[in-house]
Amino acid sequence: MSKAVGIDLGTTFSLIAWMNPASGKPECIPGPYGTTLCPSVVSLDVDGRVVAGEAARRRLLTQPARTIYSAKRLMGRGVEDVEDELKIFPFRIDPESRNVIRVRLGDRAFTPPEVSGYILREVKGWAEEYFHEPVTRAVITVPAYFNDAQRQATKDAGRLAGLEVLRLVNEPTAAALAYGLDRAQRGRVAVYDFGGGTFDISILKLIAAGEGDIYQVLSTCGDTHLGGDDIDNRLLDLAREEILRDWGLDLAPHSQVLQELRKAMIAAKHELSDAEETTVRFLLPEGMAYVRRLTREEFEALIGPIVERTLAPARQALRDAKLKPEEIDEVVMVGGSTRIPLVRRRVEELFRRPPHVELDPDEVVALGAAVQAHILTTGVENALLLDVTPLSLGIETMGGVVAKLIPCNSTIPASAEELFTTGVDNQTGIDLHVLQGERELARDCRSLARFRLPVEPGLAGLARIEVRFTIDANGILQVRAKDLRTGEERSIDVQPSYGLAEPEIERMLIESIDFAEQDFAVRQLIEARNESESILRAAEKSLADPQSAELDSGERARIDAAIAALRLASEGEDYRQVRARIEDLNRETMHLAELLMNRAIASALEGKRVADI
Amino acid sequence: MTSGLRFPTPGIDERTDMHASPSPSTACWNCGGAPGPGHFCAACGKIQPPGDGGYFAFFALPEKLGVDREDLERRYLALSWKLHPDNFVRAGEYERNCSLELSSALNDAYRALCDPVSRAEYLLERHGVRKEGQTKQQAPPELLEEVFELNEWLDELRSAREAGSRGAETSELRERLEGARQAFEEKLAAVDAELGAGFAEWDAATDGGAGDAARGRAMARLNEVLNRRSYIRNLVASVTRELENDA
Repeated sequence: MSKAVGIDLGTTFSLIAWMNPASGKPECIPGPYGTTLCPSVVSLDVDGRVVAGEAARRRLLTQPARTIYSAKRLMGRGVEDVEDELKIFPFRIDPESRNVIRVRLGDRAFTPPEVSGYILREVKGWAEEYFHEPVTRAVITVPAYFNDAQRQATKDAGRLAGLEVLRLVNEPTAAALAYGLDRAQRGRVAVYDFGGGTFDISILKLIAAGEGDIYQVLSTCGDTHLGGDDIDNRLLDLAREEILRDWGLDLAPHSQVLQELRKAMIAAKHELSDAEETTVRFLLPEGMAYVRRLTREEFEALIGPIVERTLAPARQALRDAKLKPEEIDEVVMVGGSTRIPLVRRRVEELFRRPPHVELDPDEVVALGAAVQAHILTTGVENALLLDVTPLSLGIETMGGVVAKLIPCNSTIPASAEELFTTGVDNQTGIDLHVLQGERELARDCRSLARFRLPVEPGLAGLARIEVRFTIDANGILQVRAKDLRTGEERSIDVQPSYGLAEPEIERMLIESIDFAEQDFAVRQLIEARNESESILRAAEKSLADPQSAELDSGERARIDAAIAALRLASEGEDYRQVRARIEDLNRETMHLAELLMNRAIASALEGKRVADI
Repeated sequence: MTSGLRFPTPGIDERTDMHASPSPSTACWNCGGAPGPGHFCAACGKIQPPGDGGYFAFFALPEKLGVDREDLERRYLALSWKLHPDNFVRAGEYERNCSLELSSALNDAYRALCDPVSRAEYLLERHGVRKEGQTKQQAPPELLEEVFELNEWLDELRSAREAGSRGAETSELRERLEGARQAFEEKLAAVDAELGAGFAEWDAATDGGAGDAARGRAMARLNEVLNRRSYIRNLVASVTRELENDA
């Protein structure tokens, strides 16, 4: 069985982790740039190739029309949902988008699950590189507040990346899982997740049961437009205002300079996490220099209001969990913004205890996902996650009113049954509209799906159709119907209101899985060829050495044959062949290597007395 | 727009409550053996589809209203461990479906039985005494006078607010309402005590193997207390809301 990984598919960064059996601990896997953070950015090359991660991030400035970031904000959403996002994010929505948004990159249009699929495939590639074997199974994390459509879109993205999605896990639950598996006593944990673009707070209950630890989510709350980006913007605004004031220079038209200035301000923000003060030095066009000393005190006064905005959702989550702040036993910090001392102080004041900061706040969610992947694939049952559904599930009834079937914060899986009948004679079907949300009227809730229950024509009120709505352990809706008069069970073809229909996914899948396998094979082939080249060079160099004369003729012939075989294999397309011939050549040259080694040692020892050795 | 009507939930006789218990009456789907207790086959150990024994039987509890919360939680967690879909990721589709249905039924059952009021409502619904989500919203006769007075005060407060008067003008009215709220909260406590007595009556009837008549009487009493309780609770909530609006 291939290794199962955990992936944190983030708004700004994504990470991949696995459970290292050697250490018994989850570890994040670094990519080619040495960091474990993969920018959640995708870009379309001029030659039609899609690149993701750091390579795509570098194109944000040079190829903005072909590059997309923060695509997570579009997952599972319709065009009318994202009007607010469009004011903040430069998404180029394809005018032909209907219930699924399509984003234009150059001359092509992509759905958000496809974009996320490319990011997933990028980090999957990191893991394959690391393990030297294909990766096919993953646990992917989602924000706790994600609705059905957003979860479904995430699952689709996983499938498009050639991954079997073992489970979608809520990010805060994953964070709690990454922490404290063994210190788990009965306790209540607050997970405070202040990331790049979003803020989330969840209250969990940790129960040490006989069989292991149970993580039960009690409540969750948040703000989808509150994050480190707001802090960066505040700092950038400060610099822009001062530059305008001092030199009358408006940076608005200089997007490249603004981007560089933002970087400088972010660097200052990072420094102020440790230092009491820092100085920004930034070269402006026309040779002017913006030099600004910034103390932590001033920084905190600037960002204070932003940090304050996290406290209201935190209090709401406590209320929903029916807990007082002092009843929280542990606080876990997630997200890069929790490195800011002011954030830590405010959280400590609210919960009256210092938060946990032992694990890297950027990595903690991916680490937890890796733990869950390990649990699911090995059957090592030492922890169980009981997540909740963040939104109430209901159906539209007469007058556009929503009848709630499953209340929010219910532990999942959860289900509800409703009986339906016909309202007029000879009605042939009953139309159902499933919604998610807390509001009274259907138009204020989130449409999940519409479908039609077929009915045998007859007198009004005679039909008895029992419909069972189930929210599975991923938080995704399943619907089944049963005709109580005939006992016949029907599966229902639920057409998601926002999301890809099955045939579309199938088509994308066929394309992407082909690609995924090719991707892996191509990468392996390139690597094997590189390795082959260097070993061939080494072999030839060794054969040119006078020492090689000591080989007997049979040995020499076998080495020559192995070299020829490797050359031939390297011209082919099968990386396995190349690897096998590399092994052969290694084996055949073992004696030659020894001869050379002995000579090297002998010459190194020449002229030295035994006592010097 | 939905063209179908939501059909009022019928009594238990019409309802196939198939998603709520262990011990299905049929043989094990895997080995054909006799189904064991606790949702798994006694012979081959395979997970079984949900039976129809109801929420109490799901936890292997007698159908009694006095429930030890900690004991219920222990049973819930133990069953969660066994039934959760995480345990069946590598199992066949049939077993995965059984796990999904059983664990959702488990969560539903736990939610219903945890809270004493919803527990009693569930019991009455299962026995067809009460219809889901339906309560009689009539004032109990002995409260008619007080309710009438309270509603008048609430109207006064609303019209005073609409007329823009606050502070001193409404403070006397607010005090009266506050007093009434306290009086009704005391009544609520009294009703809760009555509910407790109703629980004990039902449990005694169940323990003593009482006949249908005695059980029916106990359920009718519970139903009446629950209706009264719901009425008073709504009253307290609406007074609280009005007072908060005015603040």
